[in-house]
Amino acid sequence: MNEELDSQLSAMFDDELLPAECELLARRLSRDEHLKARWGRYAIIGAVIRAERGVRLNAPLAGRVNAVLLAEPALTADTAPRDRNQARLRWWQPLAGAGVAAGVAAVSIMWLRAQAPLPGAPQVTQVTAPGQAIVPTASSAAQGDSYVVPRPKPAAVMVPSTELANYVVAHSMFSNPVARRNLLSAFMASESPAAGTQEPQSNVKAIAQ
Amino acid sequence: MSRPSRSSGRLASLALAWAVASVAAAEEAAPKRPIEYTPTGWLERMDQALTTRNYDGTFAHWQGGRVEMLRIIHRVQDGTVSERLASLDGSGREFIRTGANLTCYLPDRRTVLVEQRPAEESLVSFPTVNDQTATFYDIREVGHMRLNRRDTHVIAVSPKDEYRYGYQLWIDESTAMPLKSQLIDAHGQVIEQIVFASLTLSSRIADSAFRPEISTEGFQWLRNDATPHPQAGASALAWSATNLPPGFRMTVRSAQILPGSVGAVDHLVFTDGFASVSVFVERQSAPSGQPPVPESAAVGSSSAFSTVVDGHKITAVGEVPPATVRYIAGQLKAQGAAAAGR
Repeated sequence: MNEELDSQLSAMFDDELLPAECELLARRLSRDEHLKARWGRYAIIGAVIRAERGVRLNAPLAGRVNAVLLAEPALTADTAPRDRNQARLRWWQPLAGAGVAAGVAAVSIMWLRAQAPLPGAPQVTQVTAPGQAIVPTASSAAQGDSYVVPRPKPAAVMVPSTELANYVVAHSMFSNPVARRNLLSAFMASESPAAGTQEPQSNVKAIAQ
Repeated sequence: MSRPSRSSGRLASLALAWAVASVAAAEEAAPKRPIEYTPTGWLERMDQALTTRNYDGTFAHWQGGRVEMLRIIHRVQDGTVSERLASLDGSGREFIRTGANLTCYLPDRRTVLVEQRPAEESLVSFPTVNDQTATFYDIREVGHMRLNRRDTHVIAVSPKDEYRYGYQLWIDESTAMPLKSQLIDAHGQVIEQIVFASLTLSSRIADSAFRPEISTEGFQWLRNDATPHPQAGASALAWSATNLPPGFRMTVRSAQILPGSVGAVDHLVFTDGFASVSVFVERQSAPSGQPPVPESAAVGSSSAFSTVVDGHKITAVGEVPPATVRYIAGQLKAQGAAAAGR
């Protein structure tokens, strides 16, 4: 990958690429798997840096990205660079060769940033009446220009046992197409147990009674 | 270091723009026809597109604030459905189905499940929304909007009670493929979402697209080699539900041997025409000496509930709220002469 292309990707991510160039690069992204993977890495790293609401990466990957980011003194709240170009160089260059394995299309991350609802968030857009003061919440007031890189949390997703996997797969054959896709996707996305974790004695693990 | 929202908006537009460009290209040759489908008609078209067309797409699956990218490849060739669903950035799991054979690669467990289903269950057919379904869901078109340069019809399927979930679907006008779908609970909260980032409809997809990317060296293979026999149940008992949530009825009763299982498992399917719940009944291998404890589980937004009745383990699984699987599992009773002795 040449430096010019790298620079273009980075500029596109920062919304600093001309629209025409964006279009061209987007077309190239659709054809070039290596470029797509690289772009995906930028998006993941960016999402982790920004601690996007509604975007949580799989724990091992987020952990690796976080580990690299936390080792970067330039990314602490007090010293975070204000200049966007400078910031860009600081966060993506050390990671460019880090080999973070994630062939994720950035486009999807970006799309979800705008679309993904928050858990428990009402599906109603709040409109502030003219003249109505917006009172900052404690978190937003405290945020300012700084950010906190989130540490990966244990996933709340059930770990399917082999038996439950059997049931899920067998059931999926009788679901409607959309439900089947949801079910199998959720199964794919469920967290894996740590290496060496024993199969639970009971094959369907209790979560709440 | 926060990025302006216009960045994500523009990139999102670009994202699906190049993604569905291929769809548009594929559809260019198709003649335009007037769009006069009812909301139910859109659902039927969508089901048909999902099950009968050839496509290769990448989508983001969101559930519980967690995002994972997956790829789906679907092909219907000479009446045989092939499908591959692969996790791109998480567990590395893959499902590959060819006709009635379904192989599930679980690299995180170093296990491969191989399940053979009867040929007639090879998913060529698909459920159709009917009048009965309309009794329990309010199916409406709530919008006709541009979604990243594509015309979509937004169809809401809202349950009329709390026994089932609802959906909101953004169905592409020209291809009938759902570019975005949301699963919605009884309180109107979105609990699961799928958004396609790329989607290509093709006339041909090569066989090589249905090969797993992972090496299975050293993996444990679990197969159900025995051919399921519809009469060979887990027991001589006939299991049925004494009462069901409104609209649900039993549509399938079969016996099968699941991968890794020793004995046959009775499999009952209950559906309201849109949502479905499977109930699996298997004889408990040995009494543990402790009273059985009912257990709940979740796979994404789908629910599972397990309990023990008359020496048999009953497990209900379905894309319905937890209370529904619990209710159905609790209603299952054994009928027949042998019941008294158990």
